[in-house]
Amino acid sequence: MIDIIQIIIESPFLQRALLAAILIAIIAAASGTFLVFRGLSFMASGVAHAALGGTALGIFLQDSGLVPWFDPIMGALLFSILVAAFTGYAGESGITQKMEVAVGVSFALSMSFAVFLMYYIPPYKIPQIWGYLIGDILLLNDLDIFMLGSTTLLLAVITLMFNKEFVYVSIDMEGSTAQGMNARAYHYLMLIVSALAIALATKAVGAILVYAIMVAPAAASNELVKSVRGVIFAVFLIALVAELVGIAASFVVFVSPSAIAGILAALSYILALQIKRVRDRVDADIDDPDISPDDLKVTWKQAVAHEYEDGHDH
Amino acid sequence: MTVTETPLIEAHDLAVRYQNGALALHHVSFEIKSPSFMAIIGPNGSGKSTLVKTALGLIKPSRGTIKVMGYDSQKKSGKIRKQVRYVPQRDSIDHTVPVKVKDIVLMGRLLKKLPPRFATSKDIAAAKDALQQVDMEELWERPFPELSGGQRQRVLVARALAGEGSILVLDEPMAGTDIESQNLIVAALGRYHEENDVSIIMITHDLNPIHTLVEDVLLLKNTVIGLGEPCSIMDPKLIKKVYGPTARIVEHSGHRYCMTRDSGIDRHD
Repeated sequence: MIDIIQIIIESPFLQRALLAAILIAIIAAASGTFLVFRGLSFMASGVAHAALGGTALGIFLQDSGLVPWFDPIMGALLFSILVAAFTGYAGESGITQKMEVAVGVSFALSMSFAVFLMYYIPPYKIPQIWGYLIGDILLLNDLDIFMLGSTTLLLAVITLMFNKEFVYVSIDMEGSTAQGMNARAYHYLMLIVSALAIALATKAVGAILVYAIMVAPAAASNELVKSVRGVIFAVFLIALVAELVGIAASFVVFVSPSAIAGILAALSYILALQIKRVRDRVDADIDDPDISPDDLKVTWKQAVAHEYEDGHDH
Repeated sequence: MTVTETPLIEAHDLAVRYQNGALALHHVSFEIKSPSFMAIIGPNGSGKSTLVKTALGLIKPSRGTIKVMGYDSQKKSGKIRKQVRYVPQRDSIDHTVPVKVKDIVLMGRLLKKLPPRFATSKDIAAAKDALQQVDMEELWERPFPELSGGQRQRVLVARALAGEGSILVLDEPMAGTDIESQNLIVAALGRYHEENDVSIIMITHDLNPIHTLVEDVLLLKNTVIGLGEPCSIMDPKLIKKVYGPTARIVEHSGHRYCMTRDSGIDRHD
């Protein structure tokens, strides 16, 4: 134990990695949870890849001398906001499928844009674009931590203030609007702040880790935990444990910490599905004896319908 | 009950299109006094939900105007929405978010507040009382997604009963519910309308369960086919015009009831 603390104190890169792990877990809890509630888990990956297009634009503008002050990260943030706004616009009526399509379209558009610009960027700069997708939690610098930290803080404050509104928008957007809440504003706020956090997290630790950490723990918790607060907390724990195990594993064996964390996060979802299935089966077996055959039939139908939905969605 | 001068709803040559461009409503002009317990009936795709959503300012009319309590649906939608408690069609409610029954019922009150929308003890008392009206008070802490379809509808009706505002708008609140839930919902709404100075606007496929409570019925098939008391709307000629030749009217203990084979849920995204 003391050895571990010794190592952490002596290596600033490890301190930054641990701090980033906590920040990413907060982003997953605040933003991943609500994206999964809204059936928008695909947006995490859409934004991460859109940021790639933005990075390419930034590098192109800088390198060609057209806009020398345009840092690639500004391009990444701009593109992620555009994706969120476009997704929000498609889903103003509250229909999830339309938002998924919008994410898919902007995903394709920004990747095409990135490839388009690559022809005009000097070859030695290309790895910088791809580096955006891979990232490494052990290679962060102070600026990365600062930017990640400030966005996490912004996201956390907004989620604490408006979590009721975000839940209302997820459950009943039309009813919320009809009863006087400005549901549209919260709808956009949630998507845009999430997109900013996802883009910066991607820059810091890579798209693979962001996507795994943003979606799988939230999906897993949503299967098992029965309150919004409980889900948020469970997501934080699963994400943090996955990342810490990943970092620890990378010290013992030669392995990428992000890969381990991503695999663990994904496994958490598979495990949750299994637990849920076993739990449902047990429930059906020991239900009260005065249950009528009709009720059983309905339960069975619902269970089948549910399984079908599961297989369809994921 | 006091009858105010301002009508509950006032439509003037209203025409509304669906998102796909098809005409949902045309030449709709009518007036309903306030307060009223009013039912909007008509077959699938007759524009019932569209009419209500237009009245709440959720859809822009392509011609004409509609006013609620004297407020124009487009220019003064904020004023209208402050008075409205709304239960949308069951399909538009998501039931994957793990909220509790109490969160849904409190939503009716908290939506009218400003952030952070904390629930006071008064809010909680009103929410519990509303749940009691639909016989669901023991389910206060239960996760909403675990309820059956009928129970969910009862919770949503409780959300409307718990709220504040003089107009309750319910879009097919009894769709897909069993007789027990229907009776509870109807009884709760009838009692609530009697005891409070509120108007209730209810879209329904089946007028029969609320037949004796309703004061005004609007019969729609993309335009106004009939408007009046339940028994005058239950005219064989009118009903056949809307529901087709298979519709029949039966008389039972002094009231006319409509028998149609139409009982689906309609939906327009």
